Amino acid sequence: MFLATKLIEQNARNFAPRLASCHCRKLSTDPHASPEIDNDEEFRVLNLRQVQAQARPKRVIKKDVAAPPRANKMPVDQDWGAVWPGPKTFHPASVPLPLRQGYTEKAAAPPSKYGNAELMKIPNFLHLTPPVIKKQCEALKQFCTPWPKEIPSEEQWNKHFPMEVITTDYCHGLPTIRNPLSRIVTIKFKLSTLKLDKHAHDKFLRLVGERYDPETDVLTIVTDRCPLRKQNYEYAQYLLTALYHESWVTEPWESLKSEADMETYHFIRNKSKVSAEEILNWGKTEGGKKLVAHEAFGKSVENLMNEGENEYNIQAYKTEALKLLGLPSLKSTSP
Amino acid sequence: MLVSRIFPLRTIRAQYSVALVRNNSTQTDPEHISIPKRIHRSPTDILNALSKTVGQDPTAAHYKYHDDPYLIPQSNLQKRIYAMAQESGRKAARWLRQEHRELFQHSEADPPIKAFYPKMVFTEESEVDEKCLEGLIYDSEVTDATFVYTLMQTKGMPVSDSLKQSLLELLCFFNHTEPLSPELIEERWFQQSLQGKERQRKTWKDGELAELLFTELEPKTSRTYAAIIRGMCKYFQVERAYALFQEAYEKQIELDVETYNSIISITNFLKEAAEPRWELCQDLLNKMNAQGLCPNLGTMNALLSSISSIGNFRLARGVCLQVLGEFKELGVEPSLASWYYVLTTFCRERGPVSHVLVDILNEIEGKEFTIRDPKDTYFFVTAMDVSRNHLHDKHTAKRIDKLLHHGKNYDLIGDSYKESIYYRHLFALLCHTEPLEEFMKTYDLLVPNVYTPEPGIMEEVVRAVETNGALEYIPRLWSDMIIFDHTSRESLVNLVLKIITENRPSADIPTHQDLEERFNTIAWDVYTKIDEQSGARTQRMSFTGQMLGNILSVLSRGKEFEKAKTVFKKLDKSQHQIAGTPSYTSMVEYVDLCVAEKSPTEALDCLEYCIENGLDNVALARKIKEGFTLSEMHIAKLKNLVGDDILKE
Repeated sequence: MFLATKLIEQNARNFAPRLASCHCRKLSTDPHASPEIDNDEEFRVLNLRQVQAQARPKRVIKKDVAAPPRANKMPVDQDWGAVWPGPKTFHPASVPLPLRQGYTEKAAAPPSKYGNAELMKIPNFLHLTPPVIKKQCEALKQFCTPWPKEIPSEEQWNKHFPMEVITTDYCHGLPTIRNPLSRIVTIKFKLSTLKLDKHAHDKFLRLVGERYDPETDVLTIVTDRCPLRKQNYEYAQYLLTALYHESWVTEPWESLKSEADMETYHFIRNKSKVSAEEILNWGKTEGGKKLVAHEAFGKSVENLMNEGENEYNIQAYKTEALKLLGLPSLKSTSP
Repeated sequence: MLVSRIFPLRTIRAQYSVALVRNNSTQTDPEHISIPKRIHRSPTDILNALSKTVGQDPTAAHYKYHDDPYLIPQSNLQKRIYAMAQESGRKAARWLRQEHRELFQHSEADPPIKAFYPKMVFTEESEVDEKCLEGLIYDSEVTDATFVYTLMQTKGMPVSDSLKQSLLELLCFFNHTEPLSPELIEERWFQQSLQGKERQRKTWKDGELAELLFTELEPKTSRTYAAIIRGMCKYFQVERAYALFQEAYEKQIELDVETYNSIISITNFLKEAAEPRWELCQDLLNKMNAQGLCPNLGTMNALLSSISSIGNFRLARGVCLQVLGEFKELGVEPSLASWYYVLTTFCRERGPVSHVLVDILNEIEGKEFTIRDPKDTYFFVTAMDVSRNHLHDKHTAKRIDKLLHHGKNYDLIGDSYKESIYYRHLFALLCHTEPLEEFMKTYDLLVPNVYTPEPGIMEEVVRAVETNGALEYIPRLWSDMIIFDHTSRESLVNLVLKIITENRPSADIPTHQDLEERFNTIAWDVYTKIDEQSGARTQRMSFTGQMLGNILSVLSRGKEFEKAKTVFKKLDKSQHQIAGTPSYTSMVEYVDLCVAEKSPTEALDCLEYCIENGLDNVALARKIKEGFTLSEMHIAKLKNLVGDDILKE
């Protein structure tokens, strides 16, 4: 017992100096006196671990007063370009407009601009108001040269400078200034500006394939295989030159092209022409002037063969055939 | 992964006439197309041109702060804290990169940016050579260069004389201390206010590596002498600098102009009295002349700075004009620093009034300046000081302000400290000289984004409002005072309270319409603010009787009975803490309110308080008696307080 109290005393000294040491001392000297002590004061537990710290009253942190939105202070005749000089996310306190955006369930007004994520999500063009654009254009005029007087219209412009070269520069939010996409070079021009004969034209189109748009007559060559823009541009130039000269070359085997190799039906080269003329020249003497199938007939046959049979083509073929044979049209003879 | 916004900057569609494509040579064009040459421009010319289209927005804070009401700083303290917090974030990032350099081995930038890489760390084992030292000197890494040099010495590696010379120059320029990184813009902006105080003290580090290098270098050339002399002059080791200068002169080593300039700039330390000092300057100039050196702007500014500290006003003025004339003949154009020295020479506190500032303005008005001398940034603040304290002339002040906002001159305002002093002078001057309405326009334009008035200036503004009787500005100024954290200034708060107590808004004036209500709010604001902090550990302000009396009268006039009751209770309960007693009129006004609200108990309490504090009570008692039909209990109390006499009347 004595040893135990001694131990307690030691602990008390070591860990809880605040603990009224008289309690322990009394405990060690006179163990029988303890009940009396308990009576007048609640027995305090020796807490070695300090499980729960005394709850302190929380300090109320006072927040600084925020100023009212600065849009309230803006005069109506202010220079908006100075307030919103560059592209940035919408901020309700800086834009003096009663904007509303967003979806509401009932037929209520859309949410106002404060705390409105819908307005922040969409890109805005508040920095590009017409007066600002005007001002910026004025500022940039000093870097512009006058337009050459010799070429007043776009038509003439296209005539003198038929080829268009398109390249793109990129701006990053990154430490690097490189962008692989900027190497790509596109050249565009109208095929009609090239001097090609029928054969060369045909061959040229075969060589360029899908790069030619027959509707607008524009040829587009995109080069991106070289790492640098200059190389790609030169490569495009080379391609164009090679294509042009290659299309003028007639290979010896091209003469071997037979009727079966033809992509389209040509009236002049076919049996149809011979047969039609045979009919026309029926019974004519050898020395007499031979009749030739007229062009419109040939066209209608070609259409019929190349485009396929349809009502229009057949009708055209019919009229042309009647015309060819010198027969009256069916309409007048029909009852 | 880095999320970046990439967008095409521009797409160039150029039209070419290529030999091959131009096949329409059959339709030959007789006309010759002359395409004008491209106008040359630097990479940033377009950006500069566009940025010039953007004007000033008085409602916006400086662009370094976030454009959000919660993040726009209002008071001077907030401005400093917010900017420095951002900077400290950047510093932390830099520290992290330096501490964990192994994690930052990737190189994002292309072309590589040296500033993005962690710095080299040198230890005793590092492999160093001359090239490495050269690089460090080139990058102005003072401590690293010193370390590498000593390491090379201990390893017994030879260092060439030219490299030793460059190291000497580096050490002399920076005085062996690492310069503040140029990237820490905010720290510079807010820090330089300290530099002014210690600038005239000897800070040169004696017996350090620079001097060792100087003795080691043999034979000593003029560059060697120039480096050490300039360094010692810059950091005010004046005696030794002059001794070395003499030594070089005796050895007939020809020094350059800059070295002469630095010696001239320390003549005010070498000779105390005015005449010998000027003689020394002349002697130095003669030596330069004998050597065939042509003085430059630095010489002029050094001379003027030396002259500006001459006590003899007449001599200083004469010599100053002489120098200006001489250099004008030489074709040296003065910088703003020269004009700053002229101002300090001519406009002295006890000297006669000089209008030299007007002449200077006539000379430099409408010009755009770039920095040519470190002291250039002192001009605007000194000029404004002169126009406020010396000339008391708002026209000059306005001319200075116009010059400051011309072109890029605002770059020469210096730092935050100088800027706020500049505006302090401007505000104080305009406040006294301009009509109040005009002044308030300037106030609206500059406060709080450009300038936050200090309590002293605020007090002057409030006083000007008081003398003009323009009560309508009081609520606005009070809300500014709350935002600028001036509400703990007792004198300011008392002044505002005094004004709103002594001046009653009249219903006739349209601008005074809702003023009474707003005054109530101000009074209640004052009360709550002081009451809130009364328990706090850092109590900056405590109630006085006068203050509470004023609050009470404003609230009584505004018929805010509940609030007035609270204030009176405070006055009554903590009498022992509150110094002074309120004025009698405020008590009368409170009792009037009690009568209006039919609350005899409160009125009697007030009477009791007046008796306890020795205020006139008879009239008050009479008022209470007449104002109410008192109950038995109240009559008894009244009798108890003032006796039977009044009741009998």
